Amino acid sequence: MVLTINNLVKRRGTQEILSGITFEARPGRVTGFLGPNGAGKSSTLRILLGLDHATAGSALIHGKPFAELQHPLRTVGAALDGSGAHPMRTGQAHLRWIACAAGLPRSRVEEVLDIVGLTKAAGTRVKRYSLGMGRRLGIAAALLADPEILILDEPVNGLDPEGIRWIRTFLRKRAEAGNTVLLSSHLMGELAETVDDVVIIKQGRIVADGTLQEVTGSHSTLEDAFFALTSEQAGDAW
Amino acid sequence: MSVSSGRKTIRILRAELDKLMTLPWIWTAVTVTFLVHLLLTAAFTSASLQEGAAAPGILNTGLASMSYLQAGFIILGILAACSEYTGGQIRTTLTVIPWRGRQLFMKHLALTLITIPAAFILTASGVLYAGWRLDGHAAGVEPHEVIQALLGATGYLTLTTLLSAAIGALLRRTLPALVILLGYYFIISPWSRGLLPAYFPDTAGRYMYLLPSSGELNVLTPVQGAGILMIWSVSLVAVAIVVYRIRDA
Amino acid sequence: MKAFHAEISKLLSLPGIWLALLIGALAPAVIAALDAIAEKEAIIAGVSTRLPEMGYSGLGLGVQGVIILGVLAVSSEYRTESSEGAGGQQISTSLMVVSSRLQLFLAKAGAVSVISILLCILAVILIVPTTRYILGDYAPLLEWTRLAGAVCYWTFTALLAFGLTLLTKQGMIPLTMLMINSSLVSFSVLLAKVTKLAFYLPDRAGMEMFMFTKNSASTEVTGSLFDSYHTPFTGGLIMFAWVAVLLGIAAIVFHRRDVAA
Repeated sequence: MVLTINNLVKRRGTQEILSGITFEARPGRVTGFLGPNGAGKSSTLRILLGLDHATAGSALIHGKPFAELQHPLRTVGAALDGSGAHPMRTGQAHLRWIACAAGLPRSRVEEVLDIVGLTKAAGTRVKRYSLGMGRRLGIAAALLADPEILILDEPVNGLDPEGIRWIRTFLRKRAEAGNTVLLSSHLMGELAETVDDVVIIKQGRIVADGTLQEVTGSHSTLEDAFFALTSEQAGDAW
Repeated sequence: MSVSSGRKTIRILRAELDKLMTLPWIWTAVTVTFLVHLLLTAAFTSASLQEGAAAPGILNTGLASMSYLQAGFIILGILAACSEYTGGQIRTTLTVIPWRGRQLFMKHLALTLITIPAAFILTASGVLYAGWRLDGHAAGVEPHEVIQALLGATGYLTLTTLLSAAIGALLRRTLPALVILLGYYFIISPWSRGLLPAYFPDTAGRYMYLLPSSGELNVLTPVQGAGILMIWSVSLVAVAIVVYRIRDA
Repeated sequence: MKAFHAEISKLLSLPGIWLALLIGALAPAVIAALDAIAEKEAIIAGVSTRLPEMGYSGLGLGVQGVIILGVLAVSSEYRTESSEGAGGQQISTSLMVVSSRLQLFLAKAGAVSVISILLCILAVILIVPTTRYILGDYAPLLEWTRLAGAVCYWTFTALLAFGLTLLTKQGMIPLTMLMINSSLVSFSVLLAKVTKLAFYLPDRAGMEMFMFTKNSASTEVTGSLFDSYHTPFTGGLIMFAWVAVLLGIAAIVFHRRDVAA
């Protein structure tokens, strides 16, 4: 297993955000991590990336916590919410310091800028970027070291239809080449065509886990299955 | 393909330097501080020429704007630390460099490397200007006194910058850090001078560049002052690193 | 009026504002206390020339609270610092709710002024027992006219902070400038030693509304913070002119500027 999340618990004050999350992501497959807003998707990914500390349980990459990886950027490429860049820096300068920290050649920066289609905006300050451009910059940073694992939080958020189609085919290609892809989303329709495995989280608990067919089950679409699984007791949902 | 720990450390340092260098605010802060410093030194020089006091000291006049100058360096330290928390950059930093203690330490080291030349150039230009304007009016100064005062002032500003960066890293927000540091250095400390012992970072650090002959009773030697300020800065950086390692990003 | 109420509640829901209010209420009393302790012996011996300043020095040099208030009122709308980094600026929302920019501007300036006035009154209420406790029967009585001047000074200072922050769209520069200038090593005091024009700077002129001891400009000007150069009325007028001009420019810029710019 490449990514193993085992009985993860996270408490903030008295509030329990994650109560015993367990799932895995396998190589050669795209794993979709689905749930409504505030279900705990980002919290799980933040712990997996060593940004937050778990109250109990573990989230491991190749059996190790993120901070113990020898080459974090070459192992895991991650794009969380937003661009993850200081608004006053240019996109190029942002990627350059990352390349510098990971010991990558500067030419790689131009390559990933080209991959995500930001070559023209390379010298523009990040605060002038649109939401979609910021996402593209975040994805560019994740791809910089050509990692075997990709972890993307809401990757299609803010992307235009063209960008969404691009990321779908791109992620499929990564998985088919034997890489591991974990992505979170609350957009079911966008995901059904991309993912192989599905994990559904609701209020800090896993409510479904399996292949796309298993989770969809008797429902006609993934979306129907998702609502059936997440909205039954959720009277507060709209 | 294991990379030696030393090379990894160098890479982190270079990345942190790169981050600081490509942040326009850092350069704005240094440039504005430089201009304000020259203006203030000019004002101090004119004032001491007008007063016609018997033999105004070149060093005293050239370093008179130190109390303002430190504000620029406080801002520099806060900017360096708090810029991580703008635009969610901290998430990128920690996924690229997950070794938190080493990363924050290297950030302070990178900041030191930038601050030392900046502080030296600023203080030296002030003293040079005062020396040029007061030529003939002022009492002579020994070259070694000038060098000692400049080194002391540079050290004071650098340590103050590190202290501010540590406070900034602890608070993570620019304005609260600025309010606390400016409030201490400009409001609380001047009002309570004489009431508090001289073991606070600014009151002790002042002895690093004040001349022994500057009239008031010298409680501390430059080395003692430097030592006390260094203890403050180093322990605050250490606290910042410990907290940084423990808390959620 | 609705916009004004909205601005008040927006301000009071910021945690930073409560810190500003705390500083605003306590700083003057603390400064007045320190000043009174330092002067106590001279006052009892009857040789102090600074007796009429007791208490007022706290109001003159303890304005940090309203500076923070004025800065936060604007910078909170433009802030981008957040660990989640969504970068959403509240100003866009504010302008959708109150579409007239002039109305939003006036409502905000009004909210800042009202809070400053109340804060200054609170500070005075705290200063009176403090000086009385330290100086006992020697404590001077505070005069209404001078207190009114202090209230004006606080409000004008808050509005200057507000206008400067609106022009620069970030809090760092105005906060640094005004905090240093409200300190014992104020730029204005330094400049007053070089040129008489410095007496026309807003803070220096504004303080004349309530902080003066040596009467008239006939005595030799030493550049001390406590020398009088203007009458209280002209001092107030000069500071008001600064505020009016600055707010005018800020209003025009705010009206014309793109939100994203």
